[in-house]
Amino acid sequence: MKVKRPDLSLLKKIFLVDLIKGLLLTFSYQKPSANYTEQYPKERPKVAERFRGAPRLNNDPVTGETLCIACNLCALACPEHCIEVGWERDKAGKKALTTYIFDMSRCMFCGLCEDACPTPCLELTQEFELSLYGRRDMKLDRQTLEQGVQPLVYTK
Amino acid sequence: MDFAIDYILIPLIKIGVIFGALSLVIAYLTFLERKVIAFMQVRLGPMRVGPYGLLQPIADGVKLMLKEDIVPSQADRWIFTLAPIITLIPAFIVFAVIPFGPSFTILGKEVALYVTDLNIGVLYVLSISSVGILGIILGGWASNSKYPLLGALRSAAQMVSYEVALGFSIMGVLMISGSLSLVDIVNGQKASGIWNVFLQPLGFILFFICGVAENNRAPFDLPEAESELVAGFHTEYSGFRFSLFFLAEYAAMIVISSMAVTFFWGGWLPPFPNLLGFIWDQLPPVLAALSGVFWFSLKVLIFLYMYLWFRASWPRYRYDQLMQVGWRYLMPIAIGNVIITAIVILLLERMGVIA
Amino acid sequence: MSTNETLFDASEITVSMGPQHPSTHGVLQVKLKLDGERVIDAQCVIGYLHRGVEKLGEVQTYGQFVPTLDRMDYIAAVSNCVGYCETIEKLLGATVPQRAQYIRVIMTELNRIASHLLWLGTHALDIGAMTVFLYAFREREEILKIFENYCGARLTTHMFRIGGAQYELYEGFEDQVREFLRTFPKHVDEYETLLTENRIWIGRTRGVGTISAKDAIDVGLTGPSLRGSGVAWDLRKAKPYSAYPDFEFDIPVGETGDTYDRYMVRIEEMRQSARIVAQAVEKIPDGPIMAKLSKIIKPPVGDIYHSIEAPKGELGYYIVSDGSTTAYRARVRPPSFVNLQALRQMVVGHMVADVVAVIGTLDIVLGEIDR
Repeated sequence: MKVKRPDLSLLKKIFLVDLIKGLLLTFSYQKPSANYTEQYPKERPKVAERFRGAPRLNNDPVTGETLCIACNLCALACPEHCIEVGWERDKAGKKALTTYIFDMSRCMFCGLCEDACPTPCLELTQEFELSLYGRRDMKLDRQTLEQGVQPLVYTK
Repeated sequence: MDFAIDYILIPLIKIGVIFGALSLVIAYLTFLERKVIAFMQVRLGPMRVGPYGLLQPIADGVKLMLKEDIVPSQADRWIFTLAPIITLIPAFIVFAVIPFGPSFTILGKEVALYVTDLNIGVLYVLSISSVGILGIILGGWASNSKYPLLGALRSAAQMVSYEVALGFSIMGVLMISGSLSLVDIVNGQKASGIWNVFLQPLGFILFFICGVAENNRAPFDLPEAESELVAGFHTEYSGFRFSLFFLAEYAAMIVISSMAVTFFWGGWLPPFPNLLGFIWDQLPPVLAALSGVFWFSLKVLIFLYMYLWFRASWPRYRYDQLMQVGWRYLMPIAIGNVIITAIVILLLERMGVIA
Repeated sequence: MSTNETLFDASEITVSMGPQHPSTHGVLQVKLKLDGERVIDAQCVIGYLHRGVEKLGEVQTYGQFVPTLDRMDYIAAVSNCVGYCETIEKLLGATVPQRAQYIRVIMTELNRIASHLLWLGTHALDIGAMTVFLYAFREREEILKIFENYCGARLTTHMFRIGGAQYELYEGFEDQVREFLRTFPKHVDEYETLLTENRIWIGRTRGVGTISAKDAIDVGLTGPSLRGSGVAWDLRKAKPYSAYPDFEFDIPVGETGDTYDRYMVRIEEMRQSARIVAQAVEKIPDGPIMAKLSKIIKPPVGDIYHSIEAPKGELGYYIVSDGSTTAYRARVRPPSFVNLQALRQMVVGHMVADVVAVIGTLDIVLGEIDR
């Protein structure tokens, strides 16, 4: 199908119809109801349920113990190799989680670690305000991950 | 003593008032521009400084003052410094002849709401306002950089082309009023009871188009086309010097709007001076004069709004197309307008309709 | 200022446009030789955004490489993802369930609309019509909201996995898409009101950057840039992939191959994409969304080339597999890179302002050119 290639008629040209049409459109958009701005720090944006934000290690809600089984699958799945899982074997020879380091400065929030996790432990939360003061702060340890990254509270 | 009051004190007060008011208006014109364009683009514009962002111009001013003032190492230091000043001064001194309101008598002294009534006011305005371009050319050249140079060249060519059509477009008004004094032009419109725009609609449209082009505003903002020449002639400017260019541009916008109002829209006259004029005649003179200022400001504001509206709505012309529009369309139409006006005036005089 | 005397005593200046220039769409540098305002020569310098994406394909496993590819053409991340997944699926000989195919088509077409909207906004902004930019971004925002609801990310989506789709459609998906499709055509009409008949827009785009059909094919242009010259070549019709044979749509083509034609082609393509989405949403089948593949993807030894119609043109992947979990060689045929090669012959003889218009009309993304 051929696209249109309209030509202005002489009458339209003389009376500036094309230009006036544009003016009217922009004029009509001045009404406040047409406004699309979201005033971010004042208004909290509602992110989607599936939003992939800051990581969190979930604990069992009943016992309070970590759900992580130290299987290391998330570390293997990560394209950026930003996860480091530390574990030791207990007396029964079962793996137990000791340390967990998540380098958020290299994370690209692809969600592959979340997919790989066989338990509901590792989760990318809806938290999206991730700015920190130093690069070193971005290496999240196990404690921070279990508490969840705390958002900065803006008052204004 | 009287001499000192009449020729030094009163003019100085007037100049002070106009200068102060103009600076404030320009500051808030930048705010208006950002708000109007934002609303047209379904945004809110500045909202963070003060309620509804009302203190934004002050924050901008402080920022521009405190910013580092960079002079490129290879630039011509003197001309680089001088250029913004050369642009700014003409833009401000044009206001000396623009009548904001009628004259009135108070405490036995006649006070006029303009600095001076020059008998060649129109010539003064046209010549002084085109000096501003010199600063732009010098600024572009002195920066010793390629984008500013291109911007300056564009600006020079644009000004020269549109100055001619601008001059021709107000010729009709001058023939009708028979005077070069801006006050006389307004008074002429009061006497005839009709605004010149109804006698010279084509002349007005041409004047306004040329005026927008003279001001380097969209859709003729080629000298500073930010998507082509980065920032045109003021690419290398920063801080306070940059803000001088900025002030000059907005002052020039107000000049063109004021001229359009004075020449075509009855200056300080209220709407329908022939039908409703008696209402204003009954007001005390001081109030009548102040209402004149109100009408004048309102009309200027409408024209300033038009500037912003154009900028939000239309794309930008290309350099060669701009020249084409200027020389191939606006010039001939303006000359034709002058000829037709002359013929009509001649015929009417012959038939004895007008003196 | 470096000035070289030329034969006729005229001086030409060399202007370096970019990489920090407001309208070179990223970090493209164009070295322009100017005679006054007229362009005598233009040379592109690329590589400022090189991140070694192809090399990463040899290090990361097949599954891990997918999110990296989103960073190539970050405006149309879904297309990159779909193209690569289909290539690997072809190499594996896997069949993707029909439902996943449909989801892929819907998302790719929505992404095509989003990409064209961003193109329209920036292109119009380059030519000075600043309002279209914000109107276009408003509609793009609606599409990105759909993406966010579906997969949790807006720009670099990582939406699909090899073998199908990772996420099931969310509740209210159909309604949200229908609502978007209901308002979208009206908004396209608005852009057209501001641009299509505007004399300034016509003046700035008609006869600018003209390229004939033969030249376009010789250079290797694909996508809307080729169709603007009147060649009805669209991989969705020419070599149908995924679920595209199920849908009805037209291929808009231009006539003269100038910037205006390419503008009209892209505007019409947005309408056609909306048409495809509308059909797909109505007849989306039930069933699984993921093919049964082993967790560790090890394609057989061999090589394969597969290409899809990305918003900017033919996006091809050439994968050489040595039977391990990572590719031996992963090569991308990016549409922007090939389309950019036409820049020189399109701008020479025009004015500086047209260079901006031509860069805009080619719809390049530097992330994809430099990789």
